[in-house]
Amino acid sequence: MAARHLIIGGGTAGMNAIRTIREEESERSAITLVSAENPYSRMVLPYYLDRSIAESHVFTATGKVLADWGVTTHLGKRATTLDTKANVCTLEDGTTVAYDDCLIATGSSAVRAPVPGADGPGVHSFWTLDQARGVIAQIQPGSHVVMVGAGFIAFTILNSILALGAKLTIVEVAPRILPRMIDDIGAQLVEAWLKEHGVAIRTGAKLTRIDDLKGRQRLKMAAGGDLVADVVIMATGIRTNLDWLKGAGVTIKQGIVVDEHLRSSVPNVYAAGDVAEGRDLISQANAVHAIEPTAQEHGRVVGANMAGKDIRYRGSLIINIVEVCHLDVASFGAWDDTQADAASGVKADRPAYRKLLWRGDRLTGAIILGRSSDIWTTNDVGMLKGLVQSGVSLGRWKAHLKKNPFDVKPAFIATKTTSALLPVTILGRPSKAPGETPVAV
Amino acid sequence: MSVLRIHPEKCTGCLRCELACSYMQTGDFQPAKSVIRVSPFEGHTSYAPYTCTQCAEGWCMTACPVGAITINAVGAKDVLDDRCVGCKLCTIACPYGTMFYDPATRKAFKCNLCGGAPACAEACPTAAITYEDVTTGDWLGDFARERTERVLTGGR
Repeated sequence: MAARHLIIGGGTAGMNAIRTIREEESERSAITLVSAENPYSRMVLPYYLDRSIAESHVFTATGKVLADWGVTTHLGKRATTLDTKANVCTLEDGTTVAYDDCLIATGSSAVRAPVPGADGPGVHSFWTLDQARGVIAQIQPGSHVVMVGAGFIAFTILNSILALGAKLTIVEVAPRILPRMIDDIGAQLVEAWLKEHGVAIRTGAKLTRIDDLKGRQRLKMAAGGDLVADVVIMATGIRTNLDWLKGAGVTIKQGIVVDEHLRSSVPNVYAAGDVAEGRDLISQANAVHAIEPTAQEHGRVVGANMAGKDIRYRGSLIINIVEVCHLDVASFGAWDDTQADAASGVKADRPAYRKLLWRGDRLTGAIILGRSSDIWTTNDVGMLKGLVQSGVSLGRWKAHLKKNPFDVKPAFIATKTTSALLPVTILGRPSKAPGETPVAV
Repeated sequence: MSVLRIHPEKCTGCLRCELACSYMQTGDFQPAKSVIRVSPFEGHTSYAPYTCTQCAEGWCMTACPVGAITINAVGAKDVLDDRCVGCKLCTIACPYGTMFYDPATRKAFKCNLCGGAPACAEACPTAAITYEDVTTGDWLGDFARERTERVLTGGR
């Protein structure tokens, strides 16, 4: 009998796993997808919000594509229990799905600040497609939008809100913006840049309650200076969707602990993406990386292993980029490593900042800020990723970069980083194009 | 497949490849919009063009959340403009620094080997860029190491 693979979660990790199973398997298997939502890309929701793409553009696989790939689907249904002894998953409507191996890729959900009124009308999260639909219907030109939270998720929709002609105020309880993506100096530069571009920012501002004023929202602030908003967006963090796994018998710490094959403590149960606590490429310790690139790589590694290959994963690298008002902000690896040897540089004539961090003569982290129109910003972004990912020995280039942190390209080329990178693939073979997934005949 | 092979010792730094590339890729004669970039070495006494290797992993392609990067008929990774939303994930996924972003169109762009007739190779007057059926490689590493060794040593 053909193997029965169960994929729980239709996000990036789950869809990459399905495609890779079809690419790698020698004998056609049975794949079942259980997903609370139709598969779509969360990454592109900001572009749906500002109406630069149609809603149809966000979907990563239509019903027809899934049928072509020979996937049995249970869409719009949540998995509620996983019996890892009987190898059966039960869905919220009582449907049961038996499997030989299964992937848990149920992702994360948005959480709101624990204040009265946070669940009231006019207060939104922006995480799922449904929530995006709720926000898009509310923002009009001239609307006053208050965003609670100044982290990465908030910043991904900042341009869209401004593009819709709304006035934006950001309130953040921490003393600074982007606390989990860049350092203090970088945060100050971004904050100043946004203020120059008409975004009001209040840091160290504690929200105490939200009151509905006949359709508008009043945000009570602990220090006074209440705000009145047409739309409130809560971007106050995410939580991994693991509650449903209580009693399933898989070991959970910050996430589902996985080995180098991305297997959980139950050998025929894999985990990938936001719910997985897997190896970090730099520290080699386990960590939850709730970012898109990790979900993609995890998903492909799991897919190959489910298809019978023996793919060991070297670990995922934290990489983040966001553009706000034509300023690129990116960070890589252990950019917040306080034990690292670090050097930084700021250009006086324009918003440009680099921070480089080393362990020994290997680059282990980097922060980069620059205008999107500066072509070298984009090039350096990639090369810094390459230096951190490959861990090439920089030798004398380290001293050069400490003095000249903007001179990344000659260091990258002369240390033969390209030679180190070219043989590296995630699956031990060249990647296939998105349209190359084998379909049922 | 054929790839762009760089012979750095033949480059004169004339930038014709950048002009030809930007014109082919974006319709403008504008080096800033070229996806092949000439770098100076040894205090601008040596030059070498640098562009996408068409690597096996295709980090840009696998990272794209909407399948907007594909493999074209000549084997090059290529951006589908009508699918690309401009999220820039490819620019941080590519470890070679050879993904580009055009703020005017809000799209990523990259070397697509001009569909099999690379304008840079055609424009190069010294055959420092050739289009050949060879395994892709690190064409600049040894050249740059040697040329910069003197600079780094001198600066010590």
